[in-house]
Amino acid sequence: MNTIYTVSNNIITSLGFSSKENFDALKKGVSGIKETSDPEITQIPLNVSRVDSERLSNEFNQIGNSADYTRLEQLMIISIHDALKQTNVDTSSGETIFILSTTKGNIDLLEKNNLSFGKDRIHLWKLGEIVSNFFNSPITPVIISNACVSGLTALTTGAQLLRKGKYKNAIVCGGDIISEFTPSGFQSFKAISPQPCRPFDANRDGITLGEGAGTIILSSEEKHVKEKNPVIFRGGANTNDANHISGPSRTGDGLYYAIRNALTDANKTDENIDYISGHGTATPYNDEMESKAIAWAELEHVPVNSLKAYWGHTLGAAGIVESIAGIYSIKENCLIKTLGYSEHGVSKSLNIIKEYKKTTINNFLKTASGFGGSNAAAYFSELNND
Amino acid sequence: MENIITKYCIIQNRKVIVNGETQFEDNDNLEYGKLMKSIYKHYQIKYPKYFKMDNLSKLAFLGSEILMQNKDNIQDIDPAKVGVILQNTNSTIDTDSKYVETIRDKSNYFPSPAVFVYTLPNVMIGEICIRHKFQGENACFISKDFNPEFITEYVTELLDEDKIDACITGYADYFDGKYKAMMFLVEKNKENRKDNISFKPEIIKNLIK
Repeated sequence: MNTIYTVSNNIITSLGFSSKENFDALKKGVSGIKETSDPEITQIPLNVSRVDSERLSNEFNQIGNSADYTRLEQLMIISIHDALKQTNVDTSSGETIFILSTTKGNIDLLEKNNLSFGKDRIHLWKLGEIVSNFFNSPITPVIISNACVSGLTALTTGAQLLRKGKYKNAIVCGGDIISEFTPSGFQSFKAISPQPCRPFDANRDGITLGEGAGTIILSSEEKHVKEKNPVIFRGGANTNDANHISGPSRTGDGLYYAIRNALTDANKTDENIDYISGHGTATPYNDEMESKAIAWAELEHVPVNSLKAYWGHTLGAAGIVESIAGIYSIKENCLIKTLGYSEHGVSKSLNIIKEYKKTTINNFLKTASGFGGSNAAAYFSELNND
Repeated sequence: MENIITKYCIIQNRKVIVNGETQFEDNDNLEYGKLMKSIYKHYQIKYPKYFKMDNLSKLAFLGSEILMQNKDNIQDIDPAKVGVILQNTNSTIDTDSKYVETIRDKSNYFPSPAVFVYTLPNVMIGEICIRHKFQGENACFISKDFNPEFITEYVTELLDEDKIDACITGYADYFDGKYKAMMFLVEKNKENRKDNISFKPEIIKNLIK
């Protein structure tokens, strides 16, 4: 089977428009979460991580006309454009497939009953067409809507399509925007923290939402690799709790199976895992479930963090932007602290990263869980140091 | 080894067709909710959670129930090795629109968690998994039309790599009063029989004609 190289990437969140800008903020412990009372998105004061709208249209207008594209399309197109700038991958060839992940797509059009882009524009398949057509792709894109694990499902799907040579490159991009839809829904569940979220903390009381997009370009072709020791996508898996559509498993079984299956897919037989990039939404149930799954996998000793207190829960982008942060942890040999965490608040003794530190990182495991009982995990490592 | 379709179910045009045979037909022009309920009754399904599901989940759930009837052998498979992989076209726009109605009027603002939870298309997969305790691979793909080439390739690889031993797969979609489910139970072939139905895109296209 082909080796799957991660050849380039991009992150757009409140913290910046490139992966480096975002990762530099993470290293410094800077959060992009701010309180807003913007009536367009909330009826009560809300802590949220939003992309700067002025910068978004300025950046987009350098490559297209922002009036022709929705907010999410602009985010995804700029993200893919920046990732492509760093490679020679040809999106107009039949060898490159687009894989997009999103939970709600252009949901703002439905909320505002905005038909100015045409009635099809609220459809996720149309979003896929618009984005892949921008880059002259001749191939029908793959669209994944698998709740909060969508980004990891997209990466695993991309790798699956490349491994046997069906395609040579996959542009994997995830994104979601913040409008009134998602915050009001999570508020109705009483799942939103009044303060910026506190993953794995004893006083955690819910999530903080965020918007953004992330892109990872996967390739089976060595010619696209610029580094001596690139990060490889080794394996991934998706599972289900089969327990409840809006509450996680009480035992962590589904996430444990995802971790186990992803490591099996990666042929990872030794126990040397340097870092776990957790989901850590900071709801009481999710973080507790995660701690049980990690303990079940006998990985309690492995340094783990959640990045949600930096850029919020970015939904369809989360699995991708957090995987990119993991790739940067390998490249820069460092671990990012779990912002918002002070007092241990889950039943298992996880090794939660409390301070930024430099240390050798050759690999990491990324996990995610979401509505519909979905779980996913993926394992990445350096080409020469698994 | 070849993978085979051991049962298939099509729900469209007021009919339920199972393995090519019309098992249910509505001649009373029932509206969608009543039509689904009469299918539920016809197959003597007893699952109270059905009644809280949204239109899309009801359709996918009924398709999976019909597939699983008299399929006790699937219950012998490790539930962590049964996958549910579905395609869909219109995501949950039907339920999204209903949810938007609950937040549109600021003087009558009542966002409903019971509606909001169904605004993700993979929740239909979660409902099927919960019903049968299936915990294997699951994914929800969105495409403009049902794409048998993509789904057979994706599911075949999961089966061939032994990531799953059986799979409920296919397509379920609801939008604007229109519905269509084309669902398949796929298993690994254990014996070569003449009447085996190969899990191949050209065969699927024939079955759904």
